Amino acid sequence: MALLEVKGVTKQFGGLTAVNSVDMEVQEGQIVGIIGPNGAGKTTLFSCIAGSHVPTKGSIKFNGTEIAGKKPYDICKLGVTRTFQVVKPFANKTVLYNTTVGAFAKTNRLDVAEEKAMEVLKLIDLYDKKDILAKNLTLPERKRLELARALATEPKLLLLDEVMAGLRPSEVAEMLPVIRKINSVGVSIIIVEHIMQAIMNLSEKVYVINFGKKIAEGDPHKVVADEEVIKAYLGDEYVANSH
Amino acid sequence: MKFLSNVQTTHKVFAALVLAVLYALPIFITSPVMLQIFILIFLYAYLTSSWNFVGGFAGVLPLGHSAFVGLGAYTSTLLYLTYNISPWIGMIAGGIVAAAFGLLIGLPTLKLRGAYFALATIAFAEGLRVLVENVEKLGPFEVRGPKGLLINLVGNSFKDFQFLSKVPYYYIILTMLVLVLILTFFMMRSKVGYYLAAGGEEPEAAEALGIKVSKYKLIAMAISCFLTALGGTFYAQLVLYFYPKSIMGLDMSYEIAFIALIGGRSTIMGPVLGAFLLRPVGELTRIYLGDTLPGLHLIIFGLVLIIVMRYQPRGLVEPVSRWLNILFDRIEKRRRA
Ligand SMILES: Nc1ncnc2c1ncn2[C@@H]1O[C@H](COP(=O)(O)OP(=O)(O)OP(=O)(O)O)[C@@H](O)[C@H]1O
Ligand SMILES: [Mg+2]
Repeated sequence: MALLEVKGVTKQFGGLTAVNSVDMEVQEGQIVGIIGPNGAGKTTLFSCIAGSHVPTKGSIKFNGTEIAGKKPYDICKLGVTRTFQVVKPFANKTVLYNTTVGAFAKTNRLDVAEEKAMEVLKLIDLYDKKDILAKNLTLPERKRLELARALATEPKLLLLDEVMAGLRPSEVAEMLPVIRKINSVGVSIIIVEHIMQAIMNLSEKVYVINFGKKIAEGDPHKVVADEEVIKAYLGDEYVANSH
Repeated sequence: MKFLSNVQTTHKVFAALVLAVLYALPIFITSPVMLQIFILIFLYAYLTSSWNFVGGFAGVLPLGHSAFVGLGAYTSTLLYLTYNISPWIGMIAGGIVAAAFGLLIGLPTLKLRGAYFALATIAFAEGLRVLVENVEKLGPFEVRGPKGLLINLVGNSFKDFQFLSKVPYYYIILTMLVLVLILTFFMMRSKVGYYLAAGGEEPEAAEALGIKVSKYKLIAMAISCFLTALGGTFYAQLVLYFYPKSIMGLDMSYEIAFIALIGGRSTIMGPVLGAFLLRPVGELTRIYLGDTLPGLHLIIFGLVLIIVMRYQPRGLVEPVSRWLNILFDRIEKRRRA
């Protein structure tokens, strides 16, 4: 059984179909990538899985349990945690405080939660910033805080929405082993990124979404050679010219 | 006492010193008028600290907390007048009644954001006051509408929560204040405290991290209303005569909010600082200008609030604690040297 099984998920906002009948599967232990142009519906799909949006149609099964339409906090408790592309830190609190909030998902004790939080901060290289207020972090640091907070909830499936956006290539290169390390301790990951270097490097399988529809899936290297995919990113002429 | 280990020694000594002075004060101050001023400062600090559980930590702005002061006062006093139940027991009953009301109005309103929640709480408080003003009798209880309730004098009696001297009142409310501050301290260092702060600041992110924000806001509301009502009973026993306008009027709700915002909401000492700064102003304008310009103190508070929000949006407790910290550091260094 797949860890996550998305079937025919559709999300409409009024007349706009942001996600259009998408199927998707994540096996336990996998890192799966999602790519697609701006406005393709990647974030909306995440929101449907994590419970921030109720899908208009379709089914989402996590570990065999239907989660479509469940509340975000219940889905988090089942083991799915997302990060936000538009970061939402608790701005007036420290990095440690932010991360401790996440760690409270698995304990009622402050000392235990703080210890877990510090462990996570060390792992993702934010430990030396632990006493800084979140509002004083740079954007890439805030993105990493999103990741830290989510990771502190000890999810089985982590949904990362452009956590590497804004990073310099050297910083991206530093993040890759971190994400692999998280994965190696048994956390499955779905990762949305525009940075192809990251997607190609990390994911076992890639889904390509365009105008809400899945247009390709499979091995990342094969997928980027796909005609549909090139068209989606670069327009029709490019494909025509290259023939 | 592991939880105190990260609090600096100088802080502890300072807190102990302040407490010692406050507990010793009635030995030196014998004027009942002065004692009354202190009692009201502590009462307002207590009420604002209770308000802080929802107004500070849960990140909403309740503007009708006088309703819960009134519920506490009316519940304990009616139980006392009708069944001769000790106000100490009535106090707890009042707290429970207020918590139940708090949950009832919190359920539909706590999901509202910003001004809508504030308006809903004002409407509730005013509605309740008008209701009480129009009730003469409720079952076995003589509510007496706008005429209010008069508690008959029995002299010094702990059981009846009545004292001829101001000194016992002073110690009771000071102790209530200390206890609510200790409760605040522990709440801030608990899961509930973290979850409330998270839900108040970024509800969507909080929910994604597993927090059922509405549940924690309701918990905060229940605690806050319960504690506020205890203050209501104390107030009733202090004045021994009250009526709806005097104990559940909006001016009291506003004053609590002013004290919190100017002192610093969602901090432990903000409400105390705010009460020490604002209460005397309120008292003085009432004594000297109460007849010609009633309500002047609220206008002054409004002006102070504008200035404070402009230059210290998180309240005066921030610069004050910064100065104290500098002072403490100097003392610490000198001690080490
Ligand atoms: N809450 C909303 N209400 C209405 N329309 C929305 C809402 N959220 C997203 N949309 C629309 O749905 C479409 C998909 O948006 P989404 O944010 O999911 O895209 P995305 O693939 O994440 O894009 P990007 O790469 O820019 O992050 C867009 O047209 C967007 O304007
Ligand atoms: Mg997006």
